[in-house]
Amino acid sequence: MNVLAWCVAAWLLGVGIYGIVTSRHYVHLIGCMTVCQSATYVLLLGIGFRWGAGAPIFYDHPPGTPAVDPVMQALVLTDIVVSASMTALLLAIALQVHKRRCTLDPQHLRPLRPRE
Amino acid sequence: MNRYWRLVLLAPALVVLAIAAAQVILAMPAFGHPLSQYGTTVNALAPVLRNVSNMVAAVNFDVRAIDTLGEESMLICAVTATVILLRGRRGEDMTECAGKLHGREWLERSDATVLMCRLMATTLFLYGAYVILHGTITPGGGFQGGAIAASSFVLIYLGEGYSVSRDLLHSEVLAAVEGLGGLVFALAAMVPLAFGYAAAQNVLPLGNWKDLYSGGTMVVVNAAVGVAVIGSFGVLLVEFLEETRAPRPGDEDDETREEGA
Repeated sequence: MNVLAWCVAAWLLGVGIYGIVTSRHYVHLIGCMTVCQSATYVLLLGIGFRWGAGAPIFYDHPPGTPAVDPVMQALVLTDIVVSASMTALLLAIALQVHKRRCTLDPQHLRPLRPRE
Repeated sequence: MNRYWRLVLLAPALVVLAIAAAQVILAMPAFGHPLSQYGTTVNALAPVLRNVSNMVAAVNFDVRAIDTLGEESMLICAVTATVILLRGRRGEDMTECAGKLHGREWLERSDATVLMCRLMATTLFLYGAYVILHGTITPGGGFQGGAIAASSFVLIYLGEGYSVSRDLLHSEVLAAVEGLGGLVFALAAMVPLAFGYAAAQNVLPLGNWKDLYSGGTMVVVNAAVGVAVIGSFGVLLVEFLEETRAPRPGDEDDETREEGA
């Protein structure tokens, strides 16, 4: 049980990398990249977790009651924002690639080829 | 490099990754017993020193406010780059009708869809505003509430169709809203410098614990982030929708879209 969270994070990173390497479509590849990124959410939340502690919101229960690490939760929030904006940027790049090359298969794309 | 060689190269890489991950996993601290003094200190001190009840907001908008300013700038930069890439040679002009594929049947929206979208879009926007405003008290904040409020724009498109959503969502207004949010955040970080405080120092009156106004500068920064996120996601939605518009002679030269005219 002690190592399960870290194993899940490593497994998510592994399957994400496998998906990226074997991808046949850029949109699928971007999805695999977000799978890799979700490994960092699991890792950060796992680091901040504490047995028997509540959310770090002291509204219903008074300050001083055990709560999980708020710094890790803030880092996950940052992570999600970065992930969302990067996904939008990569999807825009995929659209432009499709407009110019009419394919999104990484196998059929050659870098820096002059436009035909 | 074909698929086979990619897999051959992947295998040793995954083996190395697995060994490294095993080393790290065995060296990690015990699960459920965090050692971070930083988090414990924030939990202990922020309710007393800042009068806020949401510790995550206290970390994001006060303790690490400069980091969040950097994150916010990164969000705005990524959105700007996306808009530039999508506009391409299309330019800034907009049309009022979406593209249509030959042979695809055009279905009328049902009244139930329109009604539900109108009800849900307003409710969702208000709920997003609520989550933003209560960011320092209850779970939520500028980033989460902004994303919720901006998803109401998708419902406007779903319920009202392309042309009405274009009339309601102006790219210029959304971009200005995004910039305004970024500007207010930057000012909240810089203005204390002019009065001899540290950057992003909490200089406003702190307000009361559990009150709508609690946390001083955090309230301003939280609202600025919410406004900026609404603007960013709105701009992204409008620009991605514009990709579905019917092409006009001169602004498209790719074969894949010509059949949509």
